[in-house]
Amino acid sequence: MDTLGFLGQGFAVAMKPGNLLVALIGSFIGTIVGMLPGLGPINGVAILLPLAFALKLPPETALILLAAVYMGCEYGGRISSILLNVPGDAGAIMTAMDGNPMAKQGKAGVALSISAWSSFVGSVVAIVGLVLFAPLLAGWSLAFGPAEYFALMIFAIACLGGMVGDKPVKTILAALIGLFMATVGVDANSGVYRFTFDDIHLADGIQFIVVVIGFFSVSEILLMLEQTHTGETVIKQTGRMMFNLREMVETWWCTLYSSVIGFVIGVLPGAGATIASAVTYMTAKRLHDKEGTFGNGDIRGVAAPEAANNASACGSFVPMLTLGVPGSGTTAVMMGALTLYNITPGPMLFTQQPDIVWGLIASLFVGNILLLIMNIPLVGVFTRMLSVPLFLLVPGIAAISTVGVYAVHSTTFDLVMMALLGVFGYLLRKMSFPMSALILGFVLGEMLEQNLRRALSISNGDLHILWESPISLGLWLMAGAMLVVPPLLRLRRRRKSAQAIAVSTV
Amino acid sequence: MSDRIFAVLWLLLCAGMAAVGWGISTEFAYEPVGPRAYPLLILALMAVCSAWLLFKPGEAVDWPRGALLKKVAVMIVAVLLYALIFESAGFAVATALLTVAIGRLFDGKWLHCAVGGVVMGVALFYFFDRLLDVPLPGGLLLG
Repeated sequence: MDTLGFLGQGFAVAMKPGNLLVALIGSFIGTIVGMLPGLGPINGVAILLPLAFALKLPPETALILLAAVYMGCEYGGRISSILLNVPGDAGAIMTAMDGNPMAKQGKAGVALSISAWSSFVGSVVAIVGLVLFAPLLAGWSLAFGPAEYFALMIFAIACLGGMVGDKPVKTILAALIGLFMATVGVDANSGVYRFTFDDIHLADGIQFIVVVIGFFSVSEILLMLEQTHTGETVIKQTGRMMFNLREMVETWWCTLYSSVIGFVIGVLPGAGATIASAVTYMTAKRLHDKEGTFGNGDIRGVAAPEAANNASACGSFVPMLTLGVPGSGTTAVMMGALTLYNITPGPMLFTQQPDIVWGLIASLFVGNILLLIMNIPLVGVFTRMLSVPLFLLVPGIAAISTVGVYAVHSTTFDLVMMALLGVFGYLLRKMSFPMSALILGFVLGEMLEQNLRRALSISNGDLHILWESPISLGLWLMAGAMLVVPPLLRLRRRRKSAQAIAVSTV
Repeated sequence: MSDRIFAVLWLLLCAGMAAVGWGISTEFAYEPVGPRAYPLLILALMAVCSAWLLFKPGEAVDWPRGALLKKVAVMIVAVLLYALIFESAGFAVATALLTVAIGRLFDGKWLHCAVGGVVMGVALFYFFDRLLDVPLPGGLLLG
């Protein structure tokens, strides 16, 4: 009952005209950003975050904007997957497998509408999950002390290390680079300057917005130089725009379980939309692919991954809101946005800032309804935008990103720093260091250090406190397992396939 | 190979930063862990990871070559120059120049890039500075 009351309060926040308008704008921009190949939710959120801050939006409005962009990207990615056979973002890779064949068979409209519908169902299932589980988890995590928090953050980083990228050492190194960058600036406890080289611009540390824009906007446009998708033509939509009842019934079951799987994967730190859509596509294929239709335009192969990537995006809000530990790169950026407003995400948020938490949750509902409307009847508006020429789009992204950075401090120093971090990010990404780990490290850096020092202050320097309680011990063990198990599984799989090859060649 | 070069550079950087970090000190210590230990711990862990990478590097990196490398270099210079002249030349002028520079890299025609750049510079300036109240440098033309 309490939850319903809070949810009502949240809807009151989300339905304010200003917030509604922001959700509409965010959904629209998000769909475009998600649709454009190369730009994904993290880029969209990164580019809009400084603007939200520069426009002096109140925190709940800024968060609603960013959440709408995040959701919109998960919707938008499918459009280019289906029509261009080029995934608009990483979560939509699987959608191209059956979506593009469907479009080639003249069923582009059906593919687009069923995927929008399953995206919507996935989101709604996940938001209901968020409403049910988040307050419980928040209540439980109130019992966390500094040692438990420290272990939890290590666990989050270890999850990324085990699941993201193919070389765990690179993921860990990326997270460490982020953690180290966060130590630059004045130390909150002692007032000592660290690694500032007596430069006043570095006194409050490397600005979060500069890091985000450098790594996710400037480095992205450098990478875009390499991926010119010429030759691919947009498939014209013909025939039916809307799926029919039979198609809905056919996809209903796989949409539903994909939503649940997607939500669970989204809640886990580290695994995000990409893993969720891959897992559910494979599950749907294993369960339903009796006649070998998957890969040749099976409608369930479109519905399942789309439901999952939206559900996982909503699910990734759970750890951010309840524990204050983001589970994905995009939520890490959003959490950084909250800290810009001097709001510390975590279990206290539910009691101290109910407007923000419940306003955000309610706005996810509202945003998804807006997105469903935008993405079924109005999808033509977006497909036309696929033909915006890159020679205008890329400088536009660069200029708008720079506006956001400049708005924070109005110094050339920040702009140059942004450009240099962009080049550094480009080099790291070329060498396949996962940027999501780096940004997670950067966002968590200060909290990690503070909790470590606080824990050791409590125990007067005795390290045992870090793994004394059963919760922290459990988290340490899980963190260890996260680092060891996935690479072992991968190794075993590789051995098996090597054996299979050996057998087949004999 | 790239991983190895990166690992060596990063080890050197860690060593340099550790030398700087060693000098961090406070006059008064009221907590068991001061401001120095944690950054040094992170540096040590980074050094371990870099050393690992040095001995077990990943697959070769497909760096851009030839014309593409030139494009990447031009883009980096363009973005750096944009950052440097942003305040003095003003948003509109800098953005117009950037659009021409980047637009050419993406095979835009001279005329299209120039017209697009001027329109974008002026339009975005009015949109952000005047309409949304996000202050931008007016610079040479619109100051």
